[in-house]
Amino acid sequence: MAANSTSPSQTGMFLRILFKSLKVRRNRVAITFCSVAIGASIITALACVYFDISAKMSRELRTYGANFFIGPKAAAGERSMGAQAGQAALKMIPPDKLIGASPYLYGLVRLDLGNAVMAGVDFPGLRRLSPYWQVEGEWVSVSFDEDSCMVGKHLAKTMELKIGYSVNVMHAENGFQRRLTVKGIAETGQAEDDQIFVNLSLAGKVLGVPGEVNHIMASVVTQGTDIDTLSTQLEREFPNLDAKPIRKVSYSDGKILDRIKGLMAIVAVIILSVTTLCVMTTLIAVVSERTREIGLMKAIGADDRGVVLQFLCEIMIIGVAGVVAGLGMGFILAQVLGQAVFGSAITFRPVVLPVALIPSLLASLAAAALPVRMALGIVPARVLKDE
Amino acid sequence: MLKIVLETVGLTKRFGNVTPLDGIDMQVREGEWVAIMGPSGSGKTTMLNILSCLDTLSEGQYILDGIDTSKVSEKERVVVRREKIGLVFQQFHLVPYLTALENVMLAQYYHGMIDRDDAIEVLNRVGLSHRYDHLPSQLSGGEQQRVCIARALINQPAIILADEPTGNLDEANEQIILDFFKELHAEGRTIVLVTHNPELAEFADRTVRLHHGKVVQHAA
Ligand SMILES: Nc1ncnc2c1ncn2[C@@H]1O[C@H](COP(=O)(O)OP(=O)(O)O)[C@@H](O)[C@H]1O
Ligand SMILES: [Mg+2]
Repeated sequence: MAANSTSPSQTGMFLRILFKSLKVRRNRVAITFCSVAIGASIITALACVYFDISAKMSRELRTYGANFFIGPKAAAGERSMGAQAGQAALKMIPPDKLIGASPYLYGLVRLDLGNAVMAGVDFPGLRRLSPYWQVEGEWVSVSFDEDSCMVGKHLAKTMELKIGYSVNVMHAENGFQRRLTVKGIAETGQAEDDQIFVNLSLAGKVLGVPGEVNHIMASVVTQGTDIDTLSTQLEREFPNLDAKPIRKVSYSDGKILDRIKGLMAIVAVIILSVTTLCVMTTLIAVVSERTREIGLMKAIGADDRGVVLQFLCEIMIIGVAGVVAGLGMGFILAQVLGQAVFGSAITFRPVVLPVALIPSLLASLAAAALPVRMALGIVPARVLKDE
Repeated sequence: MLKIVLETVGLTKRFGNVTPLDGIDMQVREGEWVAIMGPSGSGKTTMLNILSCLDTLSEGQYILDGIDTSKVSEKERVVVRREKIGLVFQQFHLVPYLTALENVMLAQYYHGMIDRDDAIEVLNRVGLSHRYDHLPSQLSGGEQQRVCIARALINQPAIILADEPTGNLDEANEQIILDFFKELHAEGRTIVLVTHNPELAEFADRTVRLHHGKVVQHAA
């Protein structure tokens, strides 16, 4: 009774039964595959976004203005500091964490039709710091332009200024005067609406305090930066400066992120549960359909191990195929989400693989647990009854 | 005297307060063909399920080929079933998505020894030489039952147990199956066949008549 060459091996026969059984139940297999794939793709997309979001969201939230303040030591009673010292302090913030920064020098000036608060700033820095400004006309583009200014919307109205108009700026006491062109009119809904903005160097000359600034405002990425440590470092290095996070904004950044992450985790768990239930329902239907077949297999000699092996292998084939397809779909979905929500691509991070794969596969296995138990509980004598 | 292949002593089966088998004593010797007869509900199927180790008994003893099956575990009963028994049911239970040949090889697979030539030879014997690659749905009832018989024979079982194998067949097919059992008997196979067809029982060496779970007659 030697096995001849055309006889399938035990494994060959096992695989033949496996694939024929999957083939005959194409529809059920397709439903299970789709459930797993959809579940895995959503988990993957969420995981991709989750691990990329911290960086992206932090930058996104940082468009809402400054969250770090550098100024003269308040305790010492100073109102201004040297611009050089301020710039040196700013250099201690890692460049990749610094979104934007601008010095501020404030003073009261006379315009043609009345008095106003003038702010000397670094326009390119201010623009990165305050991307939310609504600007009519355009931003002053370079920091050495001493012939242009920007005017707050409310001030422009009271001073009857429009884009391209000229305005005389004069110090109330020393008589220093400069004629400037209005490049842009800004609206922020806050104090800026009543101010006139010029380059810092010009403001220093007008106010008679060249090289001085009142303070520097910066926008720092809070993710992965210990902003309190940064503050301590800066103050140790520059003992006559205050360097403080603007708590309200920088702390809520983190909180919003945590909430969004928590929400994503909950959504992921719900999706996994729904997928598991869906797969389980299909598998239970499959076991019911196959009651006689399983009973027969047991009657002609299949043991529990054989039944479990056949079932789990079928489920794992569908599960693995579904999860792999889901990974691909999920990454595409993440890109769509990234573009829609953050306006940028989502970078794939390897940590996503285990985080998406393992729960998806575990969910498929969990879904199989009850159906497999049902299959084991089938009593051949009962289901093969001749009725 | 020939060796006893199958022996029951006071075999009793209860389902709650129903006792379909009540103290059956029976022996089947090697090469014997025994028919079990009796009216519907007399316990024939229950009896065959226990003889084929698909079910356990409530009381008594059942010794198959020297093994006291009432003392073995569920796991070992599976082994006894696939090593010792060839089963034929009234309905033609085949795996619907496997071909005739694969259905026969399935029994070899569980037995742990696949031999395609052997499987083909047995199918030839039951007259299905050109039907190997047909699915059960492409075969007639008689042909399906012949595949079932081929499957029961393939592992050289110590005993062939059949529960009304012709119950769902027309006369022509019944004759084919009957002739086949005669052939097997002539070869010296041990057969226990449940039937309520007296014509079938006629060719058996012996008939055991059941009535209300008791043996009422051992006829030669
Ligand atoms: N699983 C079961 N549970 C309860 N009663 C059963 C069960 N199987 C069989 N019976 C009862 O046992 C008796 C014998 O049944 P069965 O062996 O199928 O008879 P036969 O095959 O001779 O027609 C019947 O009264 C039947 O109702
Ligand atoms: Mg019956």
